[in-house]
Amino acid sequence: MLVEYATVLVFIVLGAVTVALMLGLQRWFAPSAPSAVKLSTYECGEVPYGSSWVQFNIRFYVVALIFIIFDVEVALLYPWAVVFQRLGFLAFIEAFIFIVILLAGLAYLWKEGDLEWVRTLQDTPAKKGAK
Amino acid sequence: MVNGILDYLWLVPALPLLGVVLNGAIALLVERPFLLKEAGLPLAGGHGAGHGSHDDAHGASSHGSAHGHHETPAYRKLVAFIAPGVVGAAFVVALLCVLSLASRPADGRTFVQILFPWIQAGSLLVPAALQLDPLSSVMALVVTGVGFLIHVYSVGYMSHERAFARYFVFLNLFMFAMLILVLANNYLLMFVGWEGVGLCSYLLIGFWYEKQSASDAGKKAFVANRIGDFGVLLAMFLVFWTFGSLTYTEVFAKVPLLRESGVLTTGLATVITLLLFLGATGKSAQIPLYVWLPDAMEGPTPVSALIHAATMVTAGVYMVARSSALFLLAPDTMMVVAVIGAVTAIFSATIGICQTDIKRVLAYSTVSQLGYMFLACGVGAFTAAIFHLMTHAFFKALLFLGSGSVIHALSGEQDMQKMGGLKKYVPVTFATMFVATLAIAGIPGLSGFFSKDEILWQAFSSSHGSPFLWGIAALAAGITAFYMFRLVFLTFFGKSRMDPEVEKHAHESPWTMTVPLMILAVLSVAGGWIGIPAVLGGSNLFEHWLAPVFHPVAAAGAAHGAEAAVHHPAALEIGLMALSVAIALCGIGLAYFLYRVRTGKPAEIAKQWPTLYDVVYHKYYIDEFYEWAVIRRIVTISIGLWEMFDALFIDGIVNGAADLVRAAGDRVRRLQGGVVGGYAFSLLAGAVLLVGYILYRSVVQ
Amino acid sequence: MFLGNLASLRYFLPEFAVTATILLLVVLHVVTKSPRSTASGFLSLLGVGAAIFLAGVAPAGAGRSIFEGMVAHDGFAVFFKVLTALATLVVIFMSMDSRDLAGRSQAEYYIFLLSTLLGMFLLSSATDIVMLYLALELVSIPSYLLAGYLKGQERSTEAAMKYVVYGATASGVMIYGFSILFGLTGSTQVAEIGRSLAAGKATLPMLLASVMVAVGFGYKIAAVPFHMWSPDVYEGAPTPATAFFSVGPKAAGFAVLVRFYYTVFAAADPGTGLWRLTSAVDWPFLFAALSALTMTVGNLVAVKQSNVKRLLAYSSIAHAGYMLMGFVLLSSAGIEAILFYLVVYLFMNLGAFYVVVLVSNATRGEEISDFTGLGSRAPFAAVALSIFLFALTGIPPFSGFIGKVYLFAEVIHRGVYWLAVVAALNSVVSLYYYTRIVRAMFFEEPKDASAIPVPAVSGALLVLLVAPTLILGVYWEPVARIAADSVRMLAF
Repeated sequence: MLVEYATVLVFIVLGAVTVALMLGLQRWFAPSAPSAVKLSTYECGEVPYGSSWVQFNIRFYVVALIFIIFDVEVALLYPWAVVFQRLGFLAFIEAFIFIVILLAGLAYLWKEGDLEWVRTLQDTPAKKGAK
Repeated sequence: MVNGILDYLWLVPALPLLGVVLNGAIALLVERPFLLKEAGLPLAGGHGAGHGSHDDAHGASSHGSAHGHHETPAYRKLVAFIAPGVVGAAFVVALLCVLSLASRPADGRTFVQILFPWIQAGSLLVPAALQLDPLSSVMALVVTGVGFLIHVYSVGYMSHERAFARYFVFLNLFMFAMLILVLANNYLLMFVGWEGVGLCSYLLIGFWYEKQSASDAGKKAFVANRIGDFGVLLAMFLVFWTFGSLTYTEVFAKVPLLRESGVLTTGLATVITLLLFLGATGKSAQIPLYVWLPDAMEGPTPVSALIHAATMVTAGVYMVARSSALFLLAPDTMMVVAVIGAVTAIFSATIGICQTDIKRVLAYSTVSQLGYMFLACGVGAFTAAIFHLMTHAFFKALLFLGSGSVIHALSGEQDMQKMGGLKKYVPVTFATMFVATLAIAGIPGLSGFFSKDEILWQAFSSSHGSPFLWGIAALAAGITAFYMFRLVFLTFFGKSRMDPEVEKHAHESPWTMTVPLMILAVLSVAGGWIGIPAVLGGSNLFEHWLAPVFHPVAAAGAAHGAEAAVHHPAALEIGLMALSVAIALCGIGLAYFLYRVRTGKPAEIAKQWPTLYDVVYHKYYIDEFYEWAVIRRIVTISIGLWEMFDALFIDGIVNGAADLVRAAGDRVRRLQGGVVGGYAFSLLAGAVLLVGYILYRSVVQ
Repeated sequence: MFLGNLASLRYFLPEFAVTATILLLVVLHVVTKSPRSTASGFLSLLGVGAAIFLAGVAPAGAGRSIFEGMVAHDGFAVFFKVLTALATLVVIFMSMDSRDLAGRSQAEYYIFLLSTLLGMFLLSSATDIVMLYLALELVSIPSYLLAGYLKGQERSTEAAMKYVVYGATASGVMIYGFSILFGLTGSTQVAEIGRSLAAGKATLPMLLASVMVAVGFGYKIAAVPFHMWSPDVYEGAPTPATAFFSVGPKAAGFAVLVRFYYTVFAAADPGTGLWRLTSAVDWPFLFAALSALTMTVGNLVAVKQSNVKRLLAYSSIAHAGYMLMGFVLLSSAGIEAILFYLVVYLFMNLGAFYVVVLVSNATRGEEISDFTGLGSRAPFAAVALSIFLFALTGIPPFSGFIGKVYLFAEVIHRGVYWLAVVAALNSVVSLYYYTRIVRAMFFEEPKDASAIPVPAVSGALLVLLVAPTLILGVYWEPVARIAADSVRMLAF
């Protein structure tokens, strides 16, 4: 019974070794010229820590949400594709409706200009709302 | 279930309701903007001073040029068609229903139509249902028939009125409420109609609300009626408490059973019936609540005819007759009803002698005649009461409409001292009114004779009656004959005492007004022929028709009115009849003597007994007495209460409570600081408190 | 018996109608040039109307559990679907007329509104705690957007922000409670959880869970002390949205509250119309205290308000307190009284808000002082508002009176006299602040006496709201019967 957990143990050991190996190699080969910016944690170009009252661009939020939506779509379509053969035409229709709904959302995003990272001031939603 | 035309019984009240809706739409959407525009007012309020009052200033402003018919807007024609039309249609339906009912065997003449279940609260099950039986069919026919004629009359009478559509909305609404009242199959629905007619009465008395006296009169009627309604409400509670139902058929069916089991004691029956009768005195203007009716004459004259003579004021009589099974169980109540009826009859008749306002004479006459009806109820002669109710509806409506026609002819003059010699100006009005006067005076052969004599005879012969009651009633009949002929003589005969300016415009009314007068005149003559008593060789169809309603209850109760009558010889009946006719003729003769032969005499008499004249002229100072004894006392007491109790104690409590509430509100409001962090904290704190609370409770248990 | 997914579809038609409408609105928004076209309003009306029709004609029968036990289809759910859809329908009318929303993108507004409606449909029929949580969020998230719809107005933005923070906290606490329940019983099925809990004794985790779930539901119906969000949100949101919040989500909140607690912690005694507690958690007493607290705080604070919208917000808190009375009685008649009250409340409350919309369209204000002289400036609207306010107070012969009669009668019948007394005292307090508005309308001189025009369509809608308020005051039998039928089908 306990033997089955050996697999887990092997994974843990392999994982630890791989990480150690990678970091070690990197340390050995790479030139080291540290600066304050370089040493800071990577956080999508934002300052990673400081006051929680800091203002950041709301568009990160929008893009993240869009990403998650389509990410989930893919996550759902994988298992669907696996059993598609077994379920037949009905599964096709169901997935079709699902995708159409998301497509409508995509069209909406496109129209609203939320897919473009760089936008002119005139297009921004804040400007539109104030009109 | 197929009942032929009876399945359409609901149309009878529904048709006037349709009229309300249609005319209401016209009044709101067409007339109101029209009047506002005409008055040049941007917003609501009255519609211009000086236009409202008809009876007072009728003609003064609009009568001058060619009968004052300014361009009739089309909507008025529509209203003039719809309003009488729906009532006429309701009459036709009611007539067909009654004929269909009459074709059934006598003991099967109760038709109940359940419209919808209305209230189901606990054991209280009240359907909205209509009941057509001999009693309600008489009422329905009188209400729709007379109502139709008065609607037609109103078209002519109100032709100068600005708020034409509004008037007919109220009038149709009244018809609806009155029909609900008489056709209801239970006390609660009847009470809805009862309140509805009260509301319409209030609205129509105060129709010319710009006039202070009119709106005051409306209020007075409202208050007097509320006192009575209080009695009806209490009676309904008691009925429900005793019988567990408010439906007529169920209540009356349970009477013998509960009587045997001792639940329904005589005392309980007395209390219930006295409370019901209190309601009746309010609605039907009996002592002590009669004072509102004469003031109600501030309303337009057709309203006086319809509501305050022919229909609404008889609702009390109808209710007492409807509850006859209960009244017969309470001899004390019966006595109270009879005595109040008789006293009211003679008391108001004497007031009628000295009044100079033509409508007020008729108003006191109405109070007096209603007294007769209650006298009949009180001696157990419910058939006679309803019979008189019907004939009275004919001749009193006619008298009022006739007086309206006179007032119309005289551009709003109501004082009989400024009339005289009108016979030649308004021949049709005169002829018809004369017929009605003969009828009310009890001249043999006319309708009033048969119904009034039936009451007199029953007052004498019934087991509840007594010669004393007969004496009062007969005397009142004589006085009635006197003041009615006084009215006719002062108005139509002799020299003209009219204002010359008024006399120039005196004219007979248009056909819409005279045709109803003529029809009512025919009914005033012939309406009594369906109830000619056996002793005069008649078959008394009317009594046979109502027998299924009253006879079982008379048998169940301990009344032997019908049997007792048998023991009296026919000669006695005939003799008494002759005696009462003689008394009436005396009254007429006296009137002729005082107002035709020795016209100066009345003033002399007044001078001779100034105190007596003064007292009678001022209606025995009853209004003043009420003012002093009731209103002043209440005001004084209430001022005292207000100062002592209210200002110090109640205000202290109320203001204290209000301050407390406000202060508490202020405190609690401060909890809502507006900082969202605080909100989230409050949520968690609330949750923690709840857990603590529930834990505490489970530990305690 | 659980129906499978395909077999369930025919019981899900109202939801489909709403979903389809939402998608069409998205398409409409994408393809039309002008985002302010009223077409979206009409489209929403059509969609919601269709949903009401489909919900009304759907075969309710004895009730069934559809989508593998996720959702119930029974009379209770149908009742709330029709009720919430009706509220939405009125709110759409109101929104089409509102100047708050004029000049803003219409389609998006209706998308949020209808999404909330979809959430309410699911919330009133969910029988699985996962579904229930999703439904609650589906109601909440579009609501946040609606509250903040007046982008650029500080108040509206503030309302949305507070709503989000408060809602997230509340739903976080609630799902924590759900997770405890799942841990205790190993099931996400509401009925199954009830059966498992009935066997065991009361434990601290169980108490904790029941209170934590109460937090989530209490937040949705704005019961004190979980009401803090509502006055700020009600005041800041566009008025039609406020009207919507005060009726729709509140009704759905009551639906889920009743369904959840009566299924998990109680069982019906057959034939008696009574329920008994199956677990040792004495939640009726807990909610009785909440009920008294809710109506008292709501009324007391309303007394001090000068802004009519905020006043109505507190008054709607108080009304939630009244309705909670019916919830704690463990009798079908009590639930019936809630359902009946919700119907009359729908008309009188939406009606009151609608007049506020009309007035603020004209005066650009919602303070009581903006209502002075309304009796002469717009007599019809003033009379209608008075009727609504008197009905809210519970004065006969208006519908609110009958609603209160049903509630009070059952409270007294079940012997909870102290609660009846508290509620009666509260009604008196409420009279004070409702009549304050009536007094302002009829007895105080306006600053500006010009007439306020009421467009014919608005007048017609007002009539449609006044009519039930009057009619249900004298003839309420059919609605009471429907409420009774809907309760009977609750158990499954």
